[in-house]
Amino acid sequence: MSRHPSKRRQDSSEPSFGHAHPTTDIAAASPLARDLAGLLTHEDVDRARDRWAVRRARWTERHSKIAGRLSVVWLLVGPGVLVFLGENDAPSMLSYSATGARFGVGFFLPFVVLTFAMGLVVQEMTVRLGAVTHRGHAELIFDRFGRFWGLFALGDLVLGNFLTLVTEFIGIRAGLGFFGIRPVLAVGAGLAVVFAAIATGRYWKWERITMALAIFNGLFVPAALLTHPNWNAVGHSLLTWLPLPHGKPFDILLLLLADIGATVTPWMIFFQQSAVVDKGMQPQDIRVGRLDTLLGAVLATLFAIATIVATAPLYQHGIDASEFQAAQFAEALKPWIGHVGAALFALGIFEAGIVAAIAISTSSAYAFGEVLGTGHSLNRPLGDAWPFYSILLGSAAAAAALVLIPHAPLEFIVLMVNVIAVLAMPPALAFLLLLVNDPDVMGDQVNNFGQNLAAVTVTVLLISAGIGFGVATILQAG
Amino acid sequence: MKPRHPHADLGQAPGEEPISAPDLKDPRVVLSVLEADQVVAAKQRTHFGRRHLSVGVRIMLWGLRIYVVVMLIIVLISVIDAVRSMP
Repeated sequence: MSRHPSKRRQDSSEPSFGHAHPTTDIAAASPLARDLAGLLTHEDVDRARDRWAVRRARWTERHSKIAGRLSVVWLLVGPGVLVFLGENDAPSMLSYSATGARFGVGFFLPFVVLTFAMGLVVQEMTVRLGAVTHRGHAELIFDRFGRFWGLFALGDLVLGNFLTLVTEFIGIRAGLGFFGIRPVLAVGAGLAVVFAAIATGRYWKWERITMALAIFNGLFVPAALLTHPNWNAVGHSLLTWLPLPHGKPFDILLLLLADIGATVTPWMIFFQQSAVVDKGMQPQDIRVGRLDTLLGAVLATLFAIATIVATAPLYQHGIDASEFQAAQFAEALKPWIGHVGAALFALGIFEAGIVAAIAISTSSAYAFGEVLGTGHSLNRPLGDAWPFYSILLGSAAAAAALVLIPHAPLEFIVLMVNVIAVLAMPPALAFLLLLVNDPDVMGDQVNNFGQNLAAVTVTVLLISAGIGFGVATILQAG
Repeated sequence: MKPRHPHADLGQAPGEEPISAPDLKDPRVVLSVLEADQVVAAKQRTHFGRRHLSVGVRIMLWGLRIYVVVMLIIVLISVIDAVRSMP
């Protein structure tokens, strides 16, 4: 296919590299091969190793279609699965728990499917952006919109990410608290897992470790099955959106808006694009990248629905769960799902916090590294990219420490985190849409009419939700 | 789509099986599987230029920015009040 025009600007202070926009060129065949050969880094070599594996799998595909294709998919899945299962974080799972406990099985099941479909539309664009440009989202915003707008976007991300990280460690503490583990040990264990994942100095290993952890988001499925759900009611609600929720219209509206607004958060956009770049995905991988994103969205939807179904007995038995925290849901469910089910539920909350903590701290580190121009790859050894890893670990450690401070304003942070994420979404989506419609950036991978229609519809819905959620929060607090 | 460059495989005929253990110490092997602007050194030296922001885009970005700042201040004040009123 033809690719985008060569409109990248070269830094005039740097030596000339000839062809300024060689995306389509395999590096060895490009005019700058000789210059590049002497400048290869550890990161390049590791990325080449991953690309070689993909090339080999594609070769296998020519001879053994199923085995080859499965191999290609196995090698290329990751960012999409991680971003969606990371989005099923501790506060999200608590939100789904509260939804099930307050409204049972009904309208919210298909509504959750709709919100993830909207998330899919947004995240697909980040796959294309990353695979075509080989640049992270923060870097692209700084490049195309300048420092002024870039700093605003980065500020929104950093603030939202840090507060969300705090809520993840609250989830980690609460999840392990169910088993009687002291907060300091629980939070320390969470930090140790984050460190263990990055200590490999290899994107591929980090991704596989985190994906292995993320699969435990599925613990909510057996917890749901233990409630012996009424499958007819589940199927009926998925098809008809019935029964509609009853209660105070204001509370229902708030939950609806919160669910819409929290479907896609700024960290997801920044994270998936940077992960696609770090993984080394290329334009020919976009199809599998889409499949990866779809797989992540489907799994996250399934686990979210399972969480609603798991807590539905609380609604059926009229138990007021409006003030419940993480472990309290697990405790309250014991009469219906037993100690084992409750333990699975608590472990699920712990897992949700851990995976999100890894993904969100990595998202912050990627963004800082891209903007500062320092090494920002999980393929770099710890000592080689210490600013990148320091931000990653430092943000996680600061959030963990805050959770342990007695009388820290955790309620305040929990209240603020969703609001900030929702408020920051409209500008993040605006930058994303402008970038993905920019032919100088995307070439022939620019959004087509259908993609723009879907993306603009989702953006308008999310912006409306953001405004509505903000207004509703103000009204409620007032 | 790709490869469009017959020399990209460095000694491998088209369709030939890639060797199982490539020598990644050879820079040509590394470059043969990466796109040119995937290489870190190239990325550091080439940048997308600033795009021209039309009046409409500027108004939209400023509008969204003002919206975020104003809403953030209002929500911050409201949430502080709510937390203070907690028992």
